[in-house]
Amino acid sequence: MFHNSSQKKYWIFKSEDEIEHMRCKANQKFRNKALESRKPGGSESMFLQRHEEDVLFRHYERRLLEFCNAFKPTMPKSVVGTAVMYFRRFYLSNSVMEYHPRIIMLTCTYLACKVDEFNVSSTQFVGNLVQETPAGQERILEQILEYELLLIQQLNFHLVVHNPYRPMEGLLIDLKTRYPTLESPESLRKTADDFLTQAAMTDAGLLFSPSQIALTAILNSASRAGLNMESYLNECLGLKEDKETLSRMYDSMRRMKTLLKKYEPPKLEEVNISKQRLERIHAEFASSSNKRKRGYEEDGHVAKEPRLVEEVRWGNIVLSLTVLF
Amino acid sequence: MDEQGCPRCKTTKYRNPSLKLMVNVCGHTLCENCVEMLFVRGSGNCVQCDTPLRKSNFRVQLFEDPTVDKEVEIRKKVLKIYNKRDFDFPSLREYNDYLEQVEDIVYNLTNNVDVENTKLRMEQYQRENRDVIQRNKAKLTREQEELEELLLLEQQSNEQRRLEVLQEEQRQLQAKRKNKQALLDELEQSQLPATLLLAQHKVRAAQLETQIEQQKQAVKPTSLFSTGIHMRQTVSLQPVSKIEDVLYHYKPLQVETYGPPVPELEQLGRLGYLNHVRAAVIQDTAGGYTSALACYRAIQDAFSGLFPLKG
Repeated sequence: MFHNSSQKKYWIFKSEDEIEHMRCKANQKFRNKALESRKPGGSESMFLQRHEEDVLFRHYERRLLEFCNAFKPTMPKSVVGTAVMYFRRFYLSNSVMEYHPRIIMLTCTYLACKVDEFNVSSTQFVGNLVQETPAGQERILEQILEYELLLIQQLNFHLVVHNPYRPMEGLLIDLKTRYPTLESPESLRKTADDFLTQAAMTDAGLLFSPSQIALTAILNSASRAGLNMESYLNECLGLKEDKETLSRMYDSMRRMKTLLKKYEPPKLEEVNISKQRLERIHAEFASSSNKRKRGYEEDGHVAKEPRLVEEVRWGNIVLSLTVLF
Repeated sequence: MDEQGCPRCKTTKYRNPSLKLMVNVCGHTLCENCVEMLFVRGSGNCVQCDTPLRKSNFRVQLFEDPTVDKEVEIRKKVLKIYNKRDFDFPSLREYNDYLEQVEDIVYNLTNNVDVENTKLRMEQYQRENRDVIQRNKAKLTREQEELEELLLLEQQSNEQRRLEVLQEEQRQLQAKRKNKQALLDELEQSQLPATLLLAQHKVRAAQLETQIEQQKQAVKPTSLFSTGIHMRQTVSLQPVSKIEDVLYHYKPLQVETYGPPVPELEQLGRLGYLNHVRAAVIQDTAGGYTSALACYRAIQDAFSGLFPLKG
């Protein structure tokens, strides 16, 4: 249940400002770390600004959704929702400059499949990267497994995500049962579903409970259809006497709607510019840490390869992934 | 491995299994026969080292190496004089030095190193520490006595227990025999058919058996440890502190769902909720699934956390 979940306790934030503040902190954290570890060559100007990070984040989030929707066998919605939420939570406290989103998004999806009991084997999973050669898929799988534990740790081991999809079903059942005034609740479903898809791409999941999102989706769908459902809130949900709660609910619904309206898909040219800069930053900073990680994994059984070879291999992965996404 | 044997008559253990080798203070062996022969007058010199010896000082050789026997003898003698114990010294260091000194003396005497000086040292020590030696000797004997007394007590109680068990067994045997005899008598004299008598006997024998078993189990457990401490004796002098706490009272669980009340699982059907969910097919119900469960969960999820928090 949501009301005693870790999601309610740790992953619902008061305001958008608080979330933005966390992301700024993550950005700053990476800058400090990079400046510390590097010789003075790297200048502040080469780092991504917050809004550039945001563009990239939205871009990769869309990629994540596209990947999930094209997934064979068809992925249940709750798995997709969980994956997106992991992705969002991960980049609350980490910068895209530190961990490249194209591997994190796959890791999030892979983990969500496991947690939400959508049973696919790892080879089947990477088999969905259709543009990749089998060898490339193998390499990506290796990477996913490498980042999986990091992801779990960054999620603070809170792996259960409550999605708004089941609450919406529950609300529809309730509407059918207790609110006969509404003639065909099923007709609201299509628009409400779209609303939820939209909401998944915003911070709504970090600000509101899943049931609130679901209710807003249904009310929004109803008002689109020119129906007024105020009486449902008053009579069935017992808010007739509790005007205060009612007004707060309307308030949060309004906030949610503006949040959704504010969302704009990332522009292609902006994405391309930021992407190039991101690749440069990763080549400069992040790859060193990755190399180290890969290094100790391989030390066990293979004598250390010359650095050049390592670099080339790493470059290959980066290249192949760049083509993909 | 060379055979153990008498250096004088060359008899070996192999040739005479009952050969008894003796050792005197010098650490040289002689067989019992040779000792008898050479020391008829009570004293004489060692065949090998010419040390003057007394016949009464001959001991049976316990160790293969006669020097070990010699050392044991010497050690016994030395420790009679050097009988201080660790609490006679102000520090561990000094006690250790003292022990080292004792070892030195024993070693010297055993291996004939600087024998004269060592003996002088011992005598001097004996003169200087006469009081302490006397006192410790008394103490040691007292402790020895106490220990022996304890051992004796234990032995006695063991003996008593053994006797009791023996008597008990005797009694049981007798009872069994009597039972058998009774059966024979009855078979001889009674008018009842033999099968009945046999059955009766069987019952009686079984009763006797169980009685014996019970007695065996009822053997009272020992109440004394071999150390002399009574069993079940509370050693701790402090009384166990009593824990006083408020008794547990059950309170029904109240869960704050931050949303409107959810109808009970049992009521879903009556309230008409189940008309709007997919009915469970018969295969689903095998595992205990009902459509009410899914419906209940959906509604719970829909209502949980629906109302925004204050502030």
